[in-house]
Amino acid sequence: MTTTESRPAGTSGAGESTTLTLIQAITLGMQGEMRRDPRVVVFGEDVGARGGVFLATAGLQQEFGEERVFDTPLSEAAIVGAAVGMAVRGLRPIAEIQFADYMGPGFDQLVSQAAKLRYRSGGQFSCPMVVRTPSGGGVKGGHHHSQSPEAYYCHTPGLKVVMPSTPYDALGLLRAAVRGADPVIYFEPKRLYRAVKGEVPTEDYIVELGRAAVRQSGTDLSLIGYGGVMPDVLKAAQALGEQGVSVEVLDLRSLVPWDREAVMASVARTGRAVLVSEAPRIGSFMTEVASSIQEDVFDSLLAPVGLVAGFDTPYPYAQDRVYLPGAGRIVNAAVQTLNYG
Amino acid sequence: MIHPLPTPVQYLGEDGSVRPGVTLPGTPDDWYALWHTMLLVREYDRKLVTLLRQGRTTFYAQAAGMEATQVGIGRALRPGHDWVWGYYRDQGIALTMGARLQDLAAQMLGSNSDPNRGRQMPHHYGSAQINFVSASSSIANQVPPATGTALAQKMLGTDEVTVCTFGDGATSEGDWHAGLNMAGVQQVPCVFVCENNQWAISTPLSRQTASDGIVAKAAGYGMPGVQVDGNDVLAVWAVVQEAVDRARRGGGPTLVEALTYRMGAHSNADADAEKTYRSREEVQHWQARDPLVRFERFLERQGHSISAAQRSEAVASLHRQIDEAIQEAENSGQPDWRSMFEDVYADMPVHLRRQYQQLRLEQEAGQS
Ligand SMILES: Cc1ncc(C[n+]2csc(CCOP(=O)(O)OP(=O)(O)O)c2C)c(N)n1
Repeated sequence: MTTTESRPAGTSGAGESTTLTLIQAITLGMQGEMRRDPRVVVFGEDVGARGGVFLATAGLQQEFGEERVFDTPLSEAAIVGAAVGMAVRGLRPIAEIQFADYMGPGFDQLVSQAAKLRYRSGGQFSCPMVVRTPSGGGVKGGHHHSQSPEAYYCHTPGLKVVMPSTPYDALGLLRAAVRGADPVIYFEPKRLYRAVKGEVPTEDYIVELGRAAVRQSGTDLSLIGYGGVMPDVLKAAQALGEQGVSVEVLDLRSLVPWDREAVMASVARTGRAVLVSEAPRIGSFMTEVASSIQEDVFDSLLAPVGLVAGFDTPYPYAQDRVYLPGAGRIVNAAVQTLNYG
Repeated sequence: MIHPLPTPVQYLGEDGSVRPGVTLPGTPDDWYALWHTMLLVREYDRKLVTLLRQGRTTFYAQAAGMEATQVGIGRALRPGHDWVWGYYRDQGIALTMGARLQDLAAQMLGSNSDPNRGRQMPHHYGSAQINFVSASSSIANQVPPATGTALAQKMLGTDEVTVCTFGDGATSEGDWHAGLNMAGVQQVPCVFVCENNQWAISTPLSRQTASDGIVAKAAGYGMPGVQVDGNDVLAVWAVVQEAVDRARRGGGPTLVEALTYRMGAHSNADADAEKTYRSREEVQHWQARDPLVRFERFLERQGHSISAAQRSEAVASLHRQIDEAIQEAENSGQPDWRSMFEDVYADMPVHLRRQYQQLRLEQEAGQS
């Protein structure tokens, strides 16, 4: 099931709303969950007095105290591992990893403990926890502050993987993640933190994991992306629209689980798909989407599935903007797909 | 405090005599129960090795030689109240805390009645009933979660304690240091116990660390460290009990190092231990320090000696119980293939339902 989202599902034009940046929505999400549920705790490196290096946790320690919002030692293994143990014992941890690039030391905790505990214990123990982490490029951060490592996690059964691109989704997905029963890694496209603004209802709502959003309806081509590339995907769709191409735009929003049904419905209608992700291409999540499309709706395809991805190089500092799939590359791939045959 | 005694803490001499100045924990009834549980762990070990030889299971890591350490740890805890993040070799702790033999056996066989639903290789027991978190194979990665569980216990204002166990090899992993460091900073109610059995597969302690015992590391994390004779069940019980009590009172974490020895192989994949990496003399040295024998000598000196007839009756009865448990586990059959897709998530997501349907068609085609 898919929601069309100029206006959020379940809200009428009459509902109260505010305009927020993506990072404000995330902060508001944590604050709201902490108010709602005393079991929710927030911790990580520098999340307390400083409010996190990107200020996502700004104000939380002041409101909730040092017990519920605290700085940890500089150890991703300790942060993720402690979250596992806390979740097992009945808290609802939200752990911040300062940059997705630094998950390395905590990787084993996430994939061997968090993701496996429910399964390996036959459902006796579980880890309802959220690991939030900024990811992606476009901030001149060099390769240790710009990577898009989501595919590593998508490959791990037992984990859920989320990446919002709008304030509305950021808030709704965060609430769903915190209230859910399973471990979630919640990637935050850091270049969108303050670059996107959007309307967010003041009332409580969630965005269920595993539902794509149709950002724009169309009949000639499906452009499918998630996370940091979405503004460029929409720009490309607009440019194509100006040339008379009717483009449908899908934002996956969550990768595990992902909305296969929505993707297939769209591609079956348009017959053409271009997939966009800034992660390196080999083994990227979009290769799973491409393979699924040819498996499910091969007969509807009028052209091979296009894939615009990051290059298979470490993320470069100086060529930051060239590396990212901007609107131009997306348009080119779309034109190739449209001109096929 | 236990400090007046020399390091490592020892309550019983090797001949079963009581060290001067020691106040013995427990009553004769408790001692008898300790002996009986140690005997159970020993006989379970024997039976499981046989089970392996018969090809009825595929992996087992022996605890023979480590009974005093494990039973002493388990005895210091309140089952169903305190929590354990242990490791694969901890059957002695589980049995002391009241683990059902049927559950242990079913997990060994990956059979239908396994509380873990046949999801892991053998010998990775776990039970929510006794707050014994299902073991992971990944060495030391139970350590940061144990700190987290203890932190949650503190935040929730419970008087529960977490015990985290590991081998000497585990203390080389980054996770170990990360977990102890955070436990020290947060002053959590966690007792970390190193079951130092001198070897990590074929790597001796001297190749694992350059420090003077594992206990030396405690100072680095701002917690007390106590080294104890791990073949002395009363000393282990007392030392761990004191650490547990302090943790319960809000006094923070402790690192305990129990010096012991695994008398058997690391696991069945390591049957030639004596030929390849350790000397006959070393094994004999430790066999002479068998924790069960020492405890029987102690009981005898206390006037509670266990006669040969009593002992063999107890052994026979334990064998019967273990055999029955294994039989019951075997009779429960194999877990249904369908359950493979359950418990990945709380609810089965659509991609797994899809894969399940595919396999269902294949299975049905195969069966017809
Ligand atoms: C992270 C990791 N690395 C390697 C292994 C393989 N391995 C299994 S047991 C073991 C030795 C463990 O020794 P120790 O921690 O001393 O415990 P013991 O088995 O001696 O009780 C090794 C290296 C593993 N399971 N996990």
